[in-house]
Amino acid sequence: MNPIWLLALVPPLAFACGWWLARRSHVKRSGERVNELSSDYFRGLNYLLNEEQDKALEVFLRLAEYNRDTVETHLALGNLFRKRGEVDRAIRLHQHLVSRQGLSDEMKTVALLELGEDYMRAGLLDRAETLFSDLVAMDALAPSALRHLIAIYQHEREWHKAIDHARRLEAMTGEDESAMIAQFYCELAEQSRQHGARTEARDYVRDAFACQENCVRAHMIAGRLSSEDGELEQAIASYEAAIAADIAFVPEILPPLLNCYARSGQMDRAEAFLREIMERYHGISPVLALTRLYEGRDGERTAIDFLTGQLRKRPSVRGLMALIDATMDKVSGEARENYLILRDLTRKLLEGQAMYRCSRCGFGAKAHHWQCPSCKSWGTVRPIHGVANE
Amino acid sequence: MRLIAIIFLLLFIAAGVVFGALNADLASFDLGFAQLSLPKGGAMLSAVLLGWILGGITAWLGTSLGHRRRRRRERKVESTTTA
Repeated sequence: MNPIWLLALVPPLAFACGWWLARRSHVKRSGERVNELSSDYFRGLNYLLNEEQDKALEVFLRLAEYNRDTVETHLALGNLFRKRGEVDRAIRLHQHLVSRQGLSDEMKTVALLELGEDYMRAGLLDRAETLFSDLVAMDALAPSALRHLIAIYQHEREWHKAIDHARRLEAMTGEDESAMIAQFYCELAEQSRQHGARTEARDYVRDAFACQENCVRAHMIAGRLSSEDGELEQAIASYEAAIAADIAFVPEILPPLLNCYARSGQMDRAEAFLREIMERYHGISPVLALTRLYEGRDGERTAIDFLTGQLRKRPSVRGLMALIDATMDKVSGEARENYLILRDLTRKLLEGQAMYRCSRCGFGAKAHHWQCPSCKSWGTVRPIHGVANE
Repeated sequence: MRLIAIIFLLLFIAAGVVFGALNADLASFDLGFAQLSLPKGGAMLSAVLLGWILGGITAWLGTSLGHRRRRRRERKVESTTTA
């Protein structure tokens, strides 16, 4: 073979060599870009962990500009927008993700779920409901969608739908939702009681017990229904059962229970019950109840002696206030003025105090709520035990 | 690594110069529309250099045009969904 023909191969070889080198340098450069992206990602994550959402948002926005294929970045951005209250931007972003071509089904359902949450946050509950219902029908991310649907129905007070979906969630995940379902039945029972449908209310109470045998709230509603119907013995049994089920609710249960004891003329039984409760419950409510009982039955002196004795064992601002009120009439002159100052002071101390706290999120409240207004958990708001509280 | 690359580059340049010097006699090329008389070594080296540059440009155009096309498509989708 003529070597001149071999030389003819040299230019194509040079071409191939140039092509390969250029390609290689591009790959290398994009690799550097990937590194840059991942360092940006970690920077964004760091900002998020440090609760610096503004900076995190800036980093993620730049990240999304660089790499338009990263769905996760867009999802993180959408979440951030929603948390900052920029719901319209979050909705636009998630809508864009959902309509994007070539997105995997899995990612599309995640984006749909996020979009539903955006709608919920924006108060567009009907749109959110439709979206979550579609997801449940598609059997895609159904447990999360069901949880959101239950939250919507709770917000709209559609308890039958909430029960239905909670049962579906229970069947799907195998998690026990009976305590929550019992609370939904209690809500229905309360509604019926307020509308005068007493038989229906009792049926719902029975349903609540069927879900949760020792449901405190159901016991309390049963007690109230019986008390209103004049069945005092039955009411007392229900209230006592409620305390046996969860002693933490003593401050809620004692007033109607004592009312039933008084109406049925069983104050000795009330005294015995309160004394028994005091052994197990370390709050001030039974002491105050017993003080009032002694005041009415045995006179002021016995009541004050009992209260002072108890206040040494369990110091309490509410107890001190009761003591000041009880002894106010016995003092005069300068001492009375001092007592008045003390009474005002204790009243002001109690005015700013939260009496109940959610054991899950720490939300503080002056009144009792069966559902925490902050984290929406059921039965987690409990009396606070402390000198200035219970 | 960079030093090795520089040494190789210098070696190739030296080899090119030697190759050019050894093949300095003119060779005539007929391009159809023109006739050229170039030194054999120089013509060879020019052909290699041209091939290398063309290869590089082809690779660069291929990747950057593809990237631009993809971005344009995504922008189009974005504008239709937000409208």
